[in-house]
Amino acid sequence: MNLYDLIVKRIKDAQEADSEGPVTNVSTSAMLTAEITLISSVLVALIMLRLVNNVLMIVAVLVVLFAAVLAMPTMPRLKREMNDSINGMIFYVVLALVIVIALFYWGSLNV
Amino acid sequence: MNLLIPLMIIVPIICALFLNLLHKKDRTIKVIAILLALTLPLLPLLASYGVHFFGGYEPLTQNPTLSAGLPSLITGTALNTFHPAITYSFQEAQKLFLFILGLVAFLAILVSLFETRRPSGVYGFMMFMGVAAVSALILTDDIFNFYVFFEIAALATVGVVLVSQVKGNYETALKYMILGSIASPLLLLGIALLLGVTGNVNITDIIASLKSGVVDPQNPVILMACGLIVFGWLYGSGLPPFHTIKSAIYSKALPHGAALLQAFSVFTFIALGIIILRIFSYLPLSQMVIIGVSLLAMILGITMAILQTDLKRMIGFLAVGELGYIGLGLGLGTALGITAGLFQAVNEIVITAFLFIGFGTIYYQTGESDIRKLGGLMVQNSKVALLVLLAGFAMAGVPPLNAFQSKLLLIQASIQAGLPELGVIMILLSIVTFMTFMKAFHAVYMKPRPLDLEIKNDKIPRVTILALFIFLIVCLVLGLFPQVATDFLQGISTSLAGGIP
Amino acid sequence: MIMDTQLASLFTAGALIIIGIFAAVFLDNLIKKVIGLAFIGDGANLFLIAMGYKPGGIVYIYLPGMARDWFAQNAAYPLPFALVLTSIVIGASTMAVMLGIIMVLYKKHGSLRASKVLGE
Repeated sequence: MNLYDLIVKRIKDAQEADSEGPVTNVSTSAMLTAEITLISSVLVALIMLRLVNNVLMIVAVLVVLFAAVLAMPTMPRLKREMNDSINGMIFYVVLALVIVIALFYWGSLNV
Repeated sequence: MNLLIPLMIIVPIICALFLNLLHKKDRTIKVIAILLALTLPLLPLLASYGVHFFGGYEPLTQNPTLSAGLPSLITGTALNTFHPAITYSFQEAQKLFLFILGLVAFLAILVSLFETRRPSGVYGFMMFMGVAAVSALILTDDIFNFYVFFEIAALATVGVVLVSQVKGNYETALKYMILGSIASPLLLLGIALLLGVTGNVNITDIIASLKSGVVDPQNPVILMACGLIVFGWLYGSGLPPFHTIKSAIYSKALPHGAALLQAFSVFTFIALGIIILRIFSYLPLSQMVIIGVSLLAMILGITMAILQTDLKRMIGFLAVGELGYIGLGLGLGTALGITAGLFQAVNEIVITAFLFIGFGTIYYQTGESDIRKLGGLMVQNSKVALLVLLAGFAMAGVPPLNAFQSKLLLIQASIQAGLPELGVIMILLSIVTFMTFMKAFHAVYMKPRPLDLEIKNDKIPRVTILALFIFLIVCLVLGLFPQVATDFLQGISTSLAGGIP
Repeated sequence: MIMDTQLASLFTAGALIIIGIFAAVFLDNLIKKVIGLAFIGDGANLFLIAMGYKPGGIVYIYLPGMARDWFAQNAAYPLPFALVLTSIVIGASTMAVMLGIIMVLYKKHGSLRASKVLGE
């Protein structure tokens, strides 16, 4: 079993655990695309850390790459996280509020 | 004719209020509504550039007769240049934005009049009211006035969802209102902080007092205000963490309603984005936050879109993801980047409305939007299928359609600003966008038709096809002659970029 | 006076906002959630109106016999009062719509628990 089959199998397992409707080829390939898109765009975005520090950029890219490969089907988890439950949404909204305020209040004072 | 400036808000409000007086006279209402909706795109074309002061109170420096007998405490200080009236400013960029808003509103209202069979009632009221509110958002130079219309736009959004009779619309609307009731008072708090520090709610005056050193720009209260206003911006435009609720709202509205609602969000996004850039562009952090949030919106929006099984939810997530492109343009902070971002905003509004109304024909015919239960509809209406396919091409950025030009400009701007990584991400996500669209297109039109799929309405109203054609023409014109739009945007982007080319 | 009136109002506004957010996050009853949300709005309004407070200021109505300079120096700042009135009206209408939706949902689900009515 090569790496591709392994990844597809793990995605199918994760989807079956979710089980809303049958697992089809379309849904698995959609999940795989989303997974690859997520990892690659996060990695490319991380390259922008070079503006801060080159070494930091290399370390961050490698760490995220390894973490992404180890935790391979992240997308099913992300999808479950972004569901429509009101409490989850309020939690993320308040979290975002805290992050934004902290960033502007302390970030601007010390940059 | 500066009188036309307030009319851009008054006309839709009058439509909203008075069309319902003619309740039950359906034909009359249809004719009047179409005629009045037609004025929405025409008014901004006819109006000349200028500033409108409500109540006629211009700044004291511009009115020597008023300032004649006043004490030097007022005339000798900065008070002399302050704007006492609610000021509406209508310039080139506003002309383009209001024209596009008017066009989308006109077509959405036109389609809704022929598809819903109930011309009078709450639905039309909410659509017109939302258009009035969003026009005011674009025009106003007063941040409290902005807040008022921001809330009215949110209420109109909820109204459009409430009357749609889609399953689960009440629950989603309540969730949206709960989240909104957390976020919009915090936006108000940010405005109150700005008022407390600068003593003013007029944006030009706030900037003047920050620039002239009357107020210390590094004052922590102002930083806090910036954070709160950015938070309100996230809510108003549906950026993360509000992207799930925003896409749910689109999916619970009727397709023509959703086409209008996404225009509301995009215009809120650019109107408040421009305000943030105008006031806070001296903070490097504000641009970094705009870029970060936009990246997050793009990645989360588009990867979530491809996983959806509901057609409307899928386009809803795509609409949220495409917001990221605009944000990247604004966040780059260069004149080229801001022009490209605003141009992308115009294109996105047209294309997403095109897609919503195009795929809306499926919902109209079958009453179903789950792609697993759809299929084989190419046979039913191959003409509409072709138009929808072209809309998908436009969204992905295939030349000669409009998003190609704006995405190209965005990539050029990101390379010029020294951040080619953003260009790479934009190309990558464009490809995934196209794949998402093709997944939906295949499932709806090309897959074998499920046996239990019922066709409720066989004939699509001719007006719908006409509206799709008009959208296609706009896409082609903007794609072949991008200068038509970008010339309108040069002025505002040079002033926002503050001299960076 | 132990504490300055304006400072006390600002603290109360902050407390109202925090209590409101707490209620919105942790209370399950929809009506209680809405009351919490009203608290957030009230906090913001109180904050806004406290911006216009002026110690020893007079009402900003220009009466015959007042000296212009004296009036300009002593009148309180009128703008926040005008703004807060508008904002209260908006808050009231938003709350009316929310309560209306809750009525419909109560008829449909027979419950006011957010986890049941809005749950997935």
